[in-house]
Amino acid sequence: MRRFKEKLSGRIFFVLALSSISALALITVFIVAKGAPIFVKVGVRDFVFGMSWAPGHGEFGIFPMIVGTLSVTLGAAVLGVPLGICCSIFLTEFAPSVLKSVFRPAIQLLAGIPSVVYGFWGLIFVVPFIRDRIGGPGLSILAGSVILAIMILPTVIMISEVSILALPRQYKQNALALGLTHWQTIRSVMLPAAKSGIVAAVILGVGRAVGETMAVIMVLGNAVALPKSILDPVRTLTTNIGIEMGYASGEHQQALFATGIVLFILIMILNSAAQFITRRK
Amino acid sequence: MTEPGQKAKLETKDLHLYYGAYHALRDITMDIPERAITAIIGPSGCGKSSLLRVFNRMNDLIPGASVRGEVLLDGAPVYGKDTDAVTLRKKVGMVFQRPDVFPMSIYDNVVIGPRHHGIRRRRRLDEIAEKSLTRAALWDEVKDILKKPGSSLAPGQQQRLCIARALAVEPDVILMDESCSALDPESTMKIEELMLDLAEKYTIIIVTHNMEQARRVSDMSAFMMIDENKVGTLVEYAPTMRLFANPKDKRTEDYITGRFG
Amino acid sequence: MRKTSPAISFLTICLVCLVFASSCGRQNADVIVAGSTSVQPYAEILAEEYERLYPGNAVDVQGGGSAAGITAVQSGAADIGMSSRALKDGEKSLWSVEIAKDGLAIVVNPQNPVTDLTLEQIRKIYSAEITDWSEAGGTRAKIHIITREEGSGTRSAFEDLVMAGGRISAGAIVQDSNGTVRQLVSSDKNSIGFISLGLVDGTVKAVSLGGVEASAANIENGAYGLSRPFLFVCLGEPEGRARQFIDFVLSGEGQRVLTHEGLIPRAEGAVK
Repeated sequence: MRRFKEKLSGRIFFVLALSSISALALITVFIVAKGAPIFVKVGVRDFVFGMSWAPGHGEFGIFPMIVGTLSVTLGAAVLGVPLGICCSIFLTEFAPSVLKSVFRPAIQLLAGIPSVVYGFWGLIFVVPFIRDRIGGPGLSILAGSVILAIMILPTVIMISEVSILALPRQYKQNALALGLTHWQTIRSVMLPAAKSGIVAAVILGVGRAVGETMAVIMVLGNAVALPKSILDPVRTLTTNIGIEMGYASGEHQQALFATGIVLFILIMILNSAAQFITRRK
Repeated sequence: MTEPGQKAKLETKDLHLYYGAYHALRDITMDIPERAITAIIGPSGCGKSSLLRVFNRMNDLIPGASVRGEVLLDGAPVYGKDTDAVTLRKKVGMVFQRPDVFPMSIYDNVVIGPRHHGIRRRRRLDEIAEKSLTRAALWDEVKDILKKPGSSLAPGQQQRLCIARALAVEPDVILMDESCSALDPESTMKIEELMLDLAEKYTIIIVTHNMEQARRVSDMSAFMMIDENKVGTLVEYAPTMRLFANPKDKRTEDYITGRFG
Repeated sequence: MRKTSPAISFLTICLVCLVFASSCGRQNADVIVAGSTSVQPYAEILAEEYERLYPGNAVDVQGGGSAAGITAVQSGAADIGMSSRALKDGEKSLWSVEIAKDGLAIVVNPQNPVTDLTLEQIRKIYSAEITDWSEAGGTRAKIHIITREEGSGTRSAFEDLVMAGGRISAGAIVQDSNGTVRQLVSSDKNSIGFISLGLVDGTVKAVSLGGVEASAANIENGAYGLSRPFLFVCLGEPEGRARQFIDFVLSGEGQRVLTHEGLIPRAEGAVK
């Protein structure tokens, strides 16, 4: 009887695991099946590098959206990563425990805020600020980058913190015993030693930024043209799908699925990079 | 007690060490002679490492640590109001129990100290690297593989690399906290030879639980124990030969004859 | 395994039941109305009035845009679709009725000194031939063009009535409802947008078209040319509760409600 029960539980776990993988397989197959025809019709190069997205006129070029995704994500990384790493250094090396007990829950709270709330806050606060104090319509790459930078902070901070805390205590001791100052120790010994963990944190944060839709759809302006400055409105691959899927049909719908395929590939590349880097430790 | 004519490099007078409310060391009074090897021996937990760390203020890293009494290096206070721990550690270096090389090349490991103390010129750093690795008896083994990571060396070599790293800073004093206990006998022997060699130029203080080692290499030996209040104290401090041949205190005798560990 | 465990059979049956149960979720009582965000606020008011007069008859109004509404009707997801533009060729097989006419207002920020524009100017602004307010009678500032998404009936109406074959500039900011366009224009001094005339309130200013003020009266007498039909669309001849609701909307009672809200009541006999 016991052997039967063990076999049974093994089988059940197998079925459950299979069902999660099959969900992934189903989604992938669905997206590829729905999206591939447009690659045939329009051609991969014209689709990916085409400058004009005008479904009403049969034009399906997503290059401006790729630029949108890359620029908003890069902006978020430039703003969020240094801040996040500095926060994690502060938390691990400088913060007294009173501050630590306030900071950590605050950051975890930040991670729990739904993206649509971020978007709403961005619309009410960040967009007018940019419009009135900096320039342009306010709905812009910059607005999206600011929102996303804040959104990826918890990821960057928490994983960097873990990487730094995982360092052997001896590194710090040995460095200090050589007459290095605290800051020199952090900069020359601890950060390089924690490098692969911090890079993984950054890539995970960036991956989140790439896939984000709700937070940025309200603040990007969603213009289909190629942006010329960070104050220009822009559309990302994700927001393109988000705005148009409600009414798209036929070729238009296929094109949106094909956009999904491109996103899929982009995120797969990012994830593989993260895995590769963390494995090289 | 230094031998007549020998200068005291380090001195403590009525030293007490506290970790917060916990009294770790009491009434430590001793002179460390320069250019000699002083061994601190005693059973586990008696405060040997704590005493060693007083000399380069590594105890400062422990929150709540405080020191009462005097500690002098070349006559100047170590715990003075104006004394900077970072500058102190350039003169008083430390080699730890485990050979913890930094995750960088052998070369970078050796020169990391001087680099951060303002020496930037490549040629000067190369000189320092060669000198330190030679003094640590490691140069011949690594001179062609300086770019390889420090972790690619065997543990015994890694420990010598740590010694070279400490030497590169050009300290006067080298503290060695059980630096051989993680190594195999052959590497231990090499490092003991190194200690004797280095003692011609540097003041060396070692902490060891290996009495034979203390006997082999040290000029002075300090025996420590915890007292009835669980506070670490200095029981006997004398030239090594005399301490082992003719211990004055019964506790010392019990320890060195192996009656307790 | 030779014998299927009773636990697995039970779980399987539960799963199957769940799947069936979820598909039985939709209540047959609700009339589902979906589509144009321009028509939506009026449909919601009509639905409220209808439910007040005939308790127990629920009407569920959703947005999504004219194109989405028509798609929903075709797929059966909605009983009635709302459209703020005339039906296109591929859609002519659907049943439709005009419930009212709506004006298309071109709005700017109340602080913008410009109060009047010609159709030609508006077209040039939207195609980015004119990029600065100073070229249209205002102060020097870059114009921020706001448009609706491609599936919007309001946008279709705008393109037909104003752009005359030309394209709206790719650099235009795209928003997905009348409400968000209005909100944006009210907060950005240099913006211009187009919304349903009935939705113009104190937060934005409707420009006059070549001297003609944008008003219901001017639409009725034909002086203000930018107007479009509000349509209710069905898959075939409407029946049952959907028919009842449409009858209410077309009745004197329903038309009174719409006129009160700023729309132009439908011309008589405009049923397909």
